[in-house]
Amino acid sequence: MKSAAMSEAAPATTSLPYTDTKPAGHADFYFAINATFRFILRHRGEEALRSCWRDIGGSYYRPVSKQWTEQGMHGVAEYWRAFFKAEPGAEVEVVESADEVRLEVARCPAIHHLRTHGREIVPQFCQHCYFVNEAIASPAGLTARVCGGNGTCTQRFIKRTVEAEAQNLEDIATAS
Amino acid sequence: MIGCYDFCGHYEWTFEWLRQQGGHELVRAYWDEAIHQDSQLHASQLIGEKGIEGMKEYWGPTLADEGAVYERTVTEDVFRIDMHECPSKGFLLRNGLHQYADYCDHCMGWIGPLMQKAGFVIDHEHNHCGQCWWEMRRIDDASPASAPGTLAGTSDVRLRPGWKSPATDHYERATDPDDKT
Repeated sequence: MKSAAMSEAAPATTSLPYTDTKPAGHADFYFAINATFRFILRHRGEEALRSCWRDIGGSYYRPVSKQWTEQGMHGVAEYWRAFFKAEPGAEVEVVESADEVRLEVARCPAIHHLRTHGREIVPQFCQHCYFVNEAIASPAGLTARVCGGNGTCTQRFIKRTVEAEAQNLEDIATAS
Repeated sequence: MIGCYDFCGHYEWTFEWLRQQGGHELVRAYWDEAIHQDSQLHASQLIGEKGIEGMKEYWGPTLADEGAVYERTVTEDVFRIDMHECPSKGFLLRNGLHQYADYCDHCMGWIGPLMQKAGFVIDHEHNHCGQCWWEMRRIDDASPASAPGTLAGTSDVRLRPGWKSPATDHYERATDPDDKT
């Protein structure tokens, strides 16, 4: 019987809410994520796609919000370290301070894989990071900002204050 | 970011989100258009061009990469998979994720239209516990599905103790996720 070479269990400790028996994901699933965005855009339009991103952030990723609420900025940083460790091809530095967690994405694993395989990338692809991240961050009293995209970007998680400037979607690059 | 590590979790969540947006028809359209015709277009092209040889090329590496425990039995006329530990359903069961009524339907939802286009029909059962079997035959081959153990021997998933769950779904010469018998 065939079985993949894999560890029998997930890492002993992880900051991820859902764990697999494999240490990293299968990159071809980025094809399906990109295709899902395209399908929703085609059938329901851009506002529905943004709603989907907000809904998944507030529902499926609710355990992440809870973790960030309980653990603060360190929990945010630990989550992203574990997250990108499990995303094949990611090159990301997680910079943690008392007031902010910053992700310096030198190579986005999704954009890289889609591009390597000649897939047509949904132009709004990089916006999902803002909408999903914001929906996760908000219940934890945080807010997210994304700058750049299309393969490299900076993502910030900061405390939600009235002074925080709103995300400008023009700061997020069109993916191609 | 939505990642690939826990893909099966948010994939399953998306089925229910789509159902709430546009009902069962939108979910069916998603499996066909987004998964069969877009995400898995490499599988569609390979199997469309090479038939059973294409199935061998596609499902060998893919199932291994996904962490499946399975057996593959191939003759000139039939391509059979016995899935003993589905990595996808297994992920959901281990993590207690259950949003959509029948996650297992998604496989017939995208593989069915793919096989129809390639000129094949499918005999299939899934038990909702992470085990299933598939037999693909050319549409002009009227042979029935194999009896347990006759094609895959001891690897036949139907010989497992506890294979038959109360909610086993059965498909006969089907290519449509709703054609359960």
